[in-house]
Amino acid sequence: MKKKNIGAPIVMLIIIIYMLIPLVVSIIYSMFDKWTSIVPEGFNLENYKTLFTDPAFLATMGRTVLMCIIPIFVTIIIVLLALFVTTVYFPKLEKYVQLICMIPYTIQGVILSVSILSLYVSSPTFLSNRLVMLFGAYCIIILPYIYQGIRNGMRAVNMPMLLEAAEMLGASKMYAFFKVIVPNILSAIIVSSLLAVGIIFGDYVLVRNLAGTSFQNMQIYLYQTMKSDSTKSSAVFVVIMMVTFIITAVVLFLKSREGKQHAEMKAKVKE
Amino acid sequence: MKNRKYIFLLALVPFLLVAFLYEIIPLIMIVINSFQPDAGGGFTLENYQTVFSKLLYRKAIFNSIKISLTSAIIGIIIAFFGAKAAHQHGGKLNSVFMTVLNMVSNFAGIPLAFAYMILLGNAGFMVSVGKELGIEALANYNLYTTSGMSLIYVYFQIPLSTLLLIPAFEGVRKEWKEACTLLGGGQTTFWTKVGVPVLMPSILGTFSVLFANALAAYATAYALMMNNISLLPIQIAGCYTGEVKIRTGLGGALSVTMMIIMIIMIFITNGLSRHFQKGVARK
Repeated sequence: MKKKNIGAPIVMLIIIIYMLIPLVVSIIYSMFDKWTSIVPEGFNLENYKTLFTDPAFLATMGRTVLMCIIPIFVTIIIVLLALFVTTVYFPKLEKYVQLICMIPYTIQGVILSVSILSLYVSSPTFLSNRLVMLFGAYCIIILPYIYQGIRNGMRAVNMPMLLEAAEMLGASKMYAFFKVIVPNILSAIIVSSLLAVGIIFGDYVLVRNLAGTSFQNMQIYLYQTMKSDSTKSSAVFVVIMMVTFIITAVVLFLKSREGKQHAEMKAKVKE
Repeated sequence: MKNRKYIFLLALVPFLLVAFLYEIIPLIMIVINSFQPDAGGGFTLENYQTVFSKLLYRKAIFNSIKISLTSAIIGIIIAFFGAKAAHQHGGKLNSVFMTVLNMVSNFAGIPLAFAYMILLGNAGFMVSVGKELGIEALANYNLYTTSGMSLIYVYFQIPLSTLLLIPAFEGVRKEWKEACTLLGGGQTTFWTKVGVPVLMPSILGTFSVLFANALAAYATAYALMMNNISLLPIQIAGCYTGEVKIRTGLGGALSVTMMIIMIIMIFITNGLSRHFQKGVARK
C-alpha cells in the first residue's frame, strides 16, 4: 500500500522530466554562443536581438497571424449558421453536418493538402490561387475543433430551454439564437478558436504543399533557418514555443474558469 | 409557415460550399484519380499495381505501419502508467503534470524535430554527454533512421495518449478495488483482472487515434530527412510537389492506401473493443 503511494509521484515526475528535457535543452542552446561539450559557453541574447530586428521575421509573424484570423473567423460563422438551421429547424440534418465536420479529423494534413492541390492547381479560376487553396484547407482542418467547441457550448447552456424562454418573451428564433445563445456560448467559441490558432500556428504540411516555400509562415521560417544557422533557429524555436504555450495557458485558464462557473451555477440551482 | 421554414436552409449554403469545395469534392476526386492514368481519362489499376510492386512504395507502407505501431504501443503503455498515477495521486504534482501535458501536446512537427536534433543529432547534447560518460547507446545514437526517429514519435504520442486516457480512469470505481481486496486480490490482480479489461475500450480507442496520428505525421520526418525516407506521407507529398511533373494517379493510389490502412485499424480496434464491452456486460 505504501509502495503505491510513492510509485505514482515517481511515474509522474519521470514523465514530466522526459517531456521537458527537449524544451529546456533547446532554450539553453538559444542563449549561448557554443555548446560543444557538456557545459555551454558564452551567455548572450544576441540571437533574439537579431531576430526581432529582422524584417523578414517580423513579416512572417504578421503573415502567420493573418493566416490564423481569416479561416477561424470564416469557420466560426459558417458553423454557427449551419448549427442554427439544423438545431432550430431541421434537427434531422444535424448528423450530416456532424459527419462533414468530423471527417477532417481522420484524413488530416497530407491527404487533404494533396487532394485540394491536385483538384485546383490547373483550374482557370481564382480557385487556383495558392492562398485561396490554403485558406480553404485551413477552414477544413479546424472544422472538427470549432464544431465540437460550439456544439458542447450549446449543450452546456441548455439551448432548447433558452430559445423557448426568449420566444415567450417575443423574440424571433433568429434573434434569440444570435442575441441570446451566441453570447452565452462565447467562451466556448473563444476556447475552440484558440485551439484552432494552435493548429494553424503549428501547421507545416498544408502551407508547404499548398503555398510552397514562397509563402513563409513561422514553421517554414524555422525550417529554413534551421538549414543555415542553428543558433538563430533555436531563438525562432523559443518564440514559437512561447506563443504556443501562451495559447495553451489561456485555454486552460478559460476552461477552468468555465468549470468553476458551472459548478457555482449548479450549486445555486440546488439551493 | 412551412415555406418560410425552408428559407432558412439558405444559411446552410456557406457551410456546404466550403465543405464541398475543400473537403468532399477533393476527397472524391483523389479516389477517382487513383483509378486513372496520370494523363487522365479511362480506368486503370496500374497505379495500385505500382504501389504494391515497386520496392520503394512497399517499403514506405511497411515503414509507416511499423513506426506507427511501435510508437502507438509504447505511447499507450507509458500513457497507461501516467494516467494511472494521475488518477491515484492528486494535489500539486497532479496539476503540474496536467499543465505540462497540455503544454507539450502542441509540441510537434518542425519544432520537435529541431529540439531532437539539438538533443540527439550528430553533435547533439545527449550525444556529447554519452561520449563524455562513455555511454555507447547515447554516443552512437543515430536519429536519422526510421528506428532512430521512433523516439520522436513516441514523444509526441505521450501527452496526447495520457490526456485521452485520464478521463477513462474515472470509470474505475473504488468499490471494485475494495471488493477485490476483500476477496484477497492484490494490486496486480486487480489491474490485470478488473482494471485493464474495464479500461480496454478506452485504451483501444486511444490506440487507434495514436496510430492515425503517427501514420499521418509528416513535418517531423520531413524536417529530419527531407524526401530521403520511405514513409507513406512523404511519398504522397512527393508525388505532387516534386520537381518532376505531378503524378496524380500514383499519389491518389498511395493516399487511398493510407486511408485504407487507417480504416482497417479503426475496424480492428472497434471489433476488439466490442468484444471487451460484451465481456463486461455478461459479468
